Amino acid sequence: MLVARGLTRRFGMITAVDAVDLDLAPGDAVGLIGPNGAGKSTLLSLLAGDAPPDAGSFVLDGRSIAHLPLHARVRAGIARAAQIPQTFARLTLRENALLPAQHGARLPARAAQLWADEVLALCGLADKAGSMAGALGLLDRKRLELAKAVAARPRVLLLDEVAAGLTEPEIATIKALVDKLRDGRAVVWVEHIPFALRGTCARLVVMDKGAKLLDGPFDEVWSHPDLQRIYMGVADGRAA
Amino acid sequence: MRRFELAALCLAVPAAFAAAWGIDPGLQFLLVEALVLFLMAQMWNLAAGYAGQVSFGQQLFVGAGAYALFAIANATAVPVWVVLAVVPVLVGLAAIPLGMVMFHLKHAYFAIGMWVVAEIAQQLVLITPWLGGTGGLTLRPNGEPMQGFPEQLVLGLALFGSVALVVGLRVFLRTPMGLATLAMRDNPAAAEGAGVDIRRLHLILFALTAAGTALAGAMYYTTTLYTSPLDAFQVNWIVATMFIVVIGGIGTLTGPAIGTVLMITLREVMTAYGFSGDQYWIVMGLISIVTLLFLPRGLWPALQAVLSRPRATT
Ligand SMILES: Nc1ncnc2c1ncn2[C@@H]1O[C@H](COP(=O)(O)OP(=O)(O)OP(=O)(O)O)[C@@H](O)[C@H]1O
Ligand SMILES: [Mg+2]
Repeated sequence: MLVARGLTRRFGMITAVDAVDLDLAPGDAVGLIGPNGAGKSTLLSLLAGDAPPDAGSFVLDGRSIAHLPLHARVRAGIARAAQIPQTFARLTLRENALLPAQHGARLPARAAQLWADEVLALCGLADKAGSMAGALGLLDRKRLELAKAVAARPRVLLLDEVAAGLTEPEIATIKALVDKLRDGRAVVWVEHIPFALRGTCARLVVMDKGAKLLDGPFDEVWSHPDLQRIYMGVADGRAA
Repeated sequence: MRRFELAALCLAVPAAFAAAWGIDPGLQFLLVEALVLFLMAQMWNLAAGYAGQVSFGQQLFVGAGAYALFAIANATAVPVWVVLAVVPVLVGLAAIPLGMVMFHLKHAYFAIGMWVVAEIAQQLVLITPWLGGTGGLTLRPNGEPMQGFPEQLVLGLALFGSVALVVGLRVFLRTPMGLATLAMRDNPAAAEGAGVDIRRLHLILFALTAAGTALAGAMYYTTTLYTSPLDAFQVNWIVATMFIVVIGGIGTLTGPAIGTVLMITLREVMTAYGFSGDQYWIVMGLISIVTLLFLPRGLWPALQAVLSRPRATT
């Protein structure tokens, strides 16, 4: 469904993403891990469309979308929940979810309302739907960021550390949500917490210094000696 | 449309007729001026307060509206009120390519850039003989002197138009495009990430506010029957507009109404007590500074906070 080849992004001297290839099929749930600064967020930005790649091509459902601006990318079917929540402070939670339902998913008025409410309920925000997003704490803002991405009904859902800072039961609800959403679409989930990805993501991709190092079935990659060497220490340290 | 919005529209019709035929001409002229300023302020409020297009060049559209009206009405047999309806469409369409160019400038550069464009337009009109040059134009529909009392028609139009505009904006803010506008005000990048075509939305709002401002300008100069470049393109239009919006409460629909009432009342009271126009602007300047120091969001949001209503968008 999604085929990316040689995606590259430089910031001055730093090559944040270095010739990354990525294939996604419907139903894929891919965990993306790597040390801080590995280029995970930058790769998601390239896919989402808020940063143009310096090189590389990128096709969704047979259509080249590398040149599309951000809003068109969302409409074409790629949405991201950003690492730092980007919510609309002076809109209610329902309106926050309604916007991507109307403009991203392009649903008609009534259907958009229903879908926005459904997504808020899925993300555990139903009881706060009428309050202003500006009044939310960080955890709820992260939930709302996830809800906004889901509300756009993407074919490819990109999650950037949506579970960071959450408790295990809270992470479990997000895992259940991702399982539910996976049908017919692909999810790429960046997370430093192994508990979040294990069981949900059948596939694991490892990035280091901008390059894609490993890509394969979760358990195979997880026990790979290279991963042990460059990353495991950090991940286990965090998870403990 | 909600019931009281419909009621407001229905009430505006008899109110417009009553104002057109039941009020003495001096007061009519004052009301026209107040309503025209309110319309301009609401347009600038939509552009600056909602869309984030802070511009110091609104007088460009006032002048464009006035000159488009005079040029078309004087040269053709089309009735003035039809020309009044056509002018905003023409100016709105002309604003689209202008917006495409001007949006390459950001923030302060855009604001000042628009001012520069207004100044250039003024200079161009000054040296264009068929627009009257420095001497300006007199409204002579189809070459004949204007018949009847234009204040009556314009006051009725402006009164109904003001109510219709507020109702229309309230309805607009509840549509998908209105929600996109509110979202863009909070976080443009995130709005784009939700699928909103920000560039297109900016252009639409720019064209709409240009059209509305041009209509207000055309209505005003229909009552004066005379326009000149130094008057129609003067900076005072944007100064008064900004005063009204910022004092009243930018990004709210009620704020500009409060600002307009405050400004016109103050001016009439001061004139009645024999103060000069300069002294009036000094007082206005002081009021703005004090308001911005103590109530940076303007009078209406402050009042709302006192009345402890949760929401300041309407
Ligand atoms: N806008 C930017 N300007 C300059 N350098 C940047 C920018 N964004 C990212 N970088 C650099 O690119 C590299 C990759 O950053 P990125 O945020 O993608 O890493 P990450 O894998 O998401 O890390 P983390 O786990 O900390 O979120 C880093 O060296 C970072 O400093
Ligand atoms: Mg990151």
